[in-house]
Amino acid sequence: MVTVEELISWVLRIGVLSGVAITALGFFLSADLAWAGVLILILTPFMRVLMAGAYFLARKEYPFFFLAAYVIMMLVIGSFLRIN
Amino acid sequence: MGGFSTDLYLMALLILLFGVFAGSLGAMLGLGGGVLMIIFLLLALDLPAHQAVALSLIAVIASSSMAGSVYIKDKMTNLRLAMVLEAFTVTGAVAGAYLAIGMPVWVIQALLGCVLFYTSITMFRERKVDSADSETMPREGAGGRGSVLDGSFYDEQSSATVSYGVKNLKLGSVTSFIAGAVSGMVGIGGGVIKVPVMNLVMKIPIKAAAATSNFMVGVTAAASAVIYFESGLVDLKLAAPTIMGIMIGAYIGTRLLAKSRSAVVRKVLAVVLSFFGAVLILKAGGILAW
Repeated sequence: MVTVEELISWVLRIGVLSGVAITALGFFLSADLAWAGVLILILTPFMRVLMAGAYFLARKEYPFFFLAAYVIMMLVIGSFLRIN
Repeated sequence: MGGFSTDLYLMALLILLFGVFAGSLGAMLGLGGGVLMIIFLLLALDLPAHQAVALSLIAVIASSSMAGSVYIKDKMTNLRLAMVLEAFTVTGAVAGAYLAIGMPVWVIQALLGCVLFYTSITMFRERKVDSADSETMPREGAGGRGSVLDGSFYDEQSSATVSYGVKNLKLGSVTSFIAGAVSGMVGIGGGVIKVPVMNLVMKIPIKAAAATSNFMVGVTAAASAVIYFESGLVDLKLAAPTIMGIMIGAYIGTRLLAKSRSAVVRKVLAVVLSFFGAVLILKAGGILAW
């Protein structure tokens, strides 16, 4: 049986390692690939927030669920704040 | 970057090598590596300030996620406390990154200079954080009774379960907001601001403080990095050596950790950081060209 902690641990590892591998491939192959790799890396910590949010929702700890939702909302807002 | 040139390969190699150095030293001394990375990118490679900050944030995400995958299994992260403080720190990070992109370079240099001085001071003052620190605290929350934010973890060094209450949540929240803003502006993780406050003011045992801060650092750096990323400020060629270097370094550093927690290395680095702090402030004031 896999615990929540082990699951989160694996998500972080897979996120970082695939992000690194794809960014490195992008260095030699194409900028688009590097772009995707960096994006995966940036999204990795948010996977952890997403899983924490799901955990709090399942346990009906709504204040903490809303905090997790707020953190994810800030990421979405951030992605619209591009400056040229 | 002008296409695919020898310059690019040389720069990538330098970043990779320095990343290994910064990552391993960072892991050994409990710094995220962002502080060292940003100095190198800014002063040695002379990258444009916003690009240097963006790359440093990417490095911070990589190293904190890697460390986080180890911390979380040890169950030292206080997830509820992290969520509360994260709401403040992520708001600071988004605001900080958004403001920083429009700021003149000297402001970023001056701010980073101040952060380096601050880091240097905390490194000089830091006590030995071994078994002596894991005292068992009475289980009481902010109001003297049990709180949902209270935490506990099993400490292997003392073979005991350490329970603790969380104090001064307001001050901790304000600090988290400031740490987030600073992180978004100068490209560090901000653990160096959060961990001492969590430990000394909020009275959280150092191991739980470090693990909880690690969780927040990754999310904070990612929230500001996404703004730099969407604004096209992440150099996609230099991202690869930055991430790889810091990760290889962190891997080596965590394995060297047990052997050498040298106070001498810590003090030398503290002096080096205040030296670069001075350089950056002089540069910001236009006194030093570097």
